[in-house]
Amino acid sequence: MNSSNGNGSMSTASSSGAWDGRDQFPAGLRVLVVDDDPTCLMIFEKMLKTCLYQVTKCNKAETALSVLREHKNGFDIVISDVHMPDMDGFELLKHIDSEMDLPVILISADATKQIVMKGVTYGACDYLIKPVRIETLKNIWQHVVRKKARNTLLEIKY
Amino acid sequence: MDVVNQLQRQFIDYSASLHREGFLDDQFTQLQKLQDDNSPDFVVEVASLFFEDCEKLINNMARALEQQQGVDFKQVDASVHQLKGSSSSIGAMRVKDVCIAFRSFCEAQNREGCLRCLQQVTHEYSLLKNKLQTLFRLQQQILAAGGSIPVVE
Repeated sequence: MNSSNGNGSMSTASSSGAWDGRDQFPAGLRVLVVDDDPTCLMIFEKMLKTCLYQVTKCNKAETALSVLREHKNGFDIVISDVHMPDMDGFELLKHIDSEMDLPVILISADATKQIVMKGVTYGACDYLIKPVRIETLKNIWQHVVRKKARNTLLEIKY
Repeated sequence: MDVVNQLQRQFIDYSASLHREGFLDDQFTQLQKLQDDNSPDFVVEVASLFFEDCEKLINNMARALEQQQGVDFKQVDASVHQLKGSSSSIGAMRVKDVCIAFRSFCEAQNREGCLRCLQQVTHEYSLLKNKLQTLFRLQQQILAAGGSIPVVE
């Protein structure tokens, strides 16, 4: 697992607290990206950094899960590949859904309707198909804001 | 200055031919645009990673297809799927296209078809590797002569 943000250390991601997003919006969005393919992982990292996001990368779902558990409130969004050995993206999504309140984007080279349907019904906030373009990644902050807004609404209601 | 212009001209022409012949698609251009002062060797690094990855996956496929006791097509498909993902992400269009055909043969559990695709994908990978090495060499020559790499749209 590699951690890559401006300071080159993991601690910054969690200790700085929630992503405020007001001043440099949406720069500083804290993203965890998971893909067992090293080529794709390197490209995602570069693209996300170019978007001025704070990026942490993992090549295993299990590692990603421990990172998320160790740094509660340390991330704003998770991007995960679907097909990975050991734990796949769907299982990771299920864990994240039950343990944390984070938006998860699934990515795959597979574009069949069935698998996209599966992703959506499992609760992914989006399903992207490789190759992913940087323009798409520039918009992912919307999922974070949408989830926060929805949560706030629920809080007010109840 | 003349030398630089000549080299840049060569680079642009060679790049254009790679796109024209289908070796590279727009995704590769996207990666070139990502390269900046923070990561001046980004494209070369990603390409090297891709070639390493490619070789590993091709070996996995070959091993799985060699099994006399019965080919595990799911295993072959898993490797092809990953290669499809990485080749499309780097813009290796011809490699990606072979992967698409390859997956159909895996689904059909057609060993002969798979072996043919394996041969094709190995061939396309070597071709691409040579061509990109030529492209990167041109880049190096331009930089060494004091010029900058033109961005080819």
